[in-house]
Amino acid sequence: MERNPDRFWNPYLAGVALGLVLLAAFLVMGMGLGASGGSLRMGVTAVSAVAPEVVSRTPPYLRAMQSEHAHWLVYEILGMLLGGLVAAYTSGRLRWEVLRGPRIGTGARLALALGGGVLMGVAARIARGCTSGQALSGGALLSVGAWVFMLSVFAGGYAVAWFARREWR
Amino acid sequence: MIFPVLPAQQLGLVVAVLVGFAFGFVLERAGFGRAQKLAAQFYGTDMTVFKVMFGAIVTAMLGAVVAAGLGLADFRTVADHVTSSTLLGPMVVGGLMLGAGFIVSGYCPGTSFVAAASGKVDGLVTVLGVMAGQLLWAGLEWREPFKAFHVWGDRGNFYLWELLHLPSREGPVIVALAVTAAAVGCFLAVERLERALAARADAAARPTPAGRPGRLVFAGLAAAAVLGLVTLALPTGTQARLREPAQLSQLDLARRIFSEPWDVRVVDVRELAACAARRIPGSECVPLADLGKLRLADAAPGRDLVLVAAGDLQQAPREAAAYPGRLFLLQGGFRGWEAFALEPPVPPPAGAPAAEVELYRLRAGIQSAMTGMKAAPPPPPPSAVPAAPRKAGGGCSG
Repeated sequence: MERNPDRFWNPYLAGVALGLVLLAAFLVMGMGLGASGGSLRMGVTAVSAVAPEVVSRTPPYLRAMQSEHAHWLVYEILGMLLGGLVAAYTSGRLRWEVLRGPRIGTGARLALALGGGVLMGVAARIARGCTSGQALSGGALLSVGAWVFMLSVFAGGYAVAWFARREWR
Repeated sequence: MIFPVLPAQQLGLVVAVLVGFAFGFVLERAGFGRAQKLAAQFYGTDMTVFKVMFGAIVTAMLGAVVAAGLGLADFRTVADHVTSSTLLGPMVVGGLMLGAGFIVSGYCPGTSFVAAASGKVDGLVTVLGVMAGQLLWAGLEWREPFKAFHVWGDRGNFYLWELLHLPSREGPVIVALAVTAAAVGCFLAVERLERALAARADAAARPTPAGRPGRLVFAGLAAAAVLGLVTLALPTGTQARLREPAQLSQLDLARRIFSEPWDVRVVDVRELAACAARRIPGSECVPLADLGKLRLADAAPGRDLVLVAAGDLQQAPREAAAYPGRLFLLQGGFRGWEAFALEPPVPPPAGAPAAEVELYRLRAGIQSAMTGMKAAPPPPPPSAVPAAPRKAGGGCSG
């Protein structure tokens, strides 16, 4: 297979493939896909290594440590990293770089990536899940909250896109 | 109902890695490891995010609808397992914030992991940011001024077909049909938009046109939606099993009360006084006339429903027949239960076959457990528990 880093799967076929993965998670595990719940578990693990008394004082941290669901999600994320690595290697996209638009410097881009990440971390905790766990998994099973969340995500993105245009365009 | 399978923990973790691998692989190949491609969604030049996301939602939704229609799974049970409660306030606020964070960081939490795995430093930084944000809010959400906001507008598990007041069996199929139609319509519109804005797309984020594979997918999704509709006419759905409720023997009920009380819901339909005086541990007293108040037609079908009358019930009351899960009638009713579980069994004569002796032991165990308890159970000590057949393997996997 030729390695062309600018060639991607047909988006509709990719959508069907992703949907089948999601369906397998539903039917086998009775769970959806997720990314933010596992992040919290990893974060709490890091905190407990440095300051275990903080974890024991904070009920949501304790729950994240004891939850079997979060444990599952951590393994799912490990698989995800592996899958991303293999896919990037086989398509010629595996390399150290900072992705950014033509008008922004590396330092500014990384600062924005960090800030955006923190904002998303807080948001996903507020909404009980991110685009994977809430919008994708909940949306496919017709949860009202998931659809409200998904529409809000697109609304929020489009509302801020104009202000962030120097980062990308 | 076969699905969800819910494998034991170790096997579940293997499944987690496999599912995660496929998830990460597909995301990367769709182009979700590239921030410019994700961000282009919000400038209209490359709508790949929208296409992949809605393609996946529609596929998984139709898969679940068809599986439910064929009687392999119950849509509501799967959905209750997977989805969180609907909390309107936090979900609007969190959604708007996540959208803003998406365009600023160039990723969503899931895609940032994939970007990090393919060596994108900005992706790795986003991963760390998400982690910090999660820790930050998890540390604040349970404290005072945030506590009330955290549960603002809690509606529990709440689904689109309930919002539209559609019946619980046909509702998911009808909504799925509408979502599929809307998605395919949007896909076609999006293709036009991309063609119109093609000149403005940058080299790192150029959309892939639908082409023939895309048109095949549209046709396939439409066909699956119609298939979902057709399954409504099949007698294999959950409804079919209900027309002739199964009888449950006293021994089977006793076993289930001891070994998996969380999987049965026992409803005692005798007169309130009789039920209050003496009943099967863990059962609810709901006289036949009040059965409608339980709204069994709308109840979650996760647990098996067992009805207990004074004697044998000839057929299930209408209110209970509408229950979407499995329905059982207790053989012999409460009188049969009294004779079986509350009277001491007659010891078998010497030299009786082993099976008879075993049955006597079992019944004696049940009797001592049932009569020794004044209130509903804590499960009795192991010596008194009738030995329910166990799967091989012990510990947590049992």
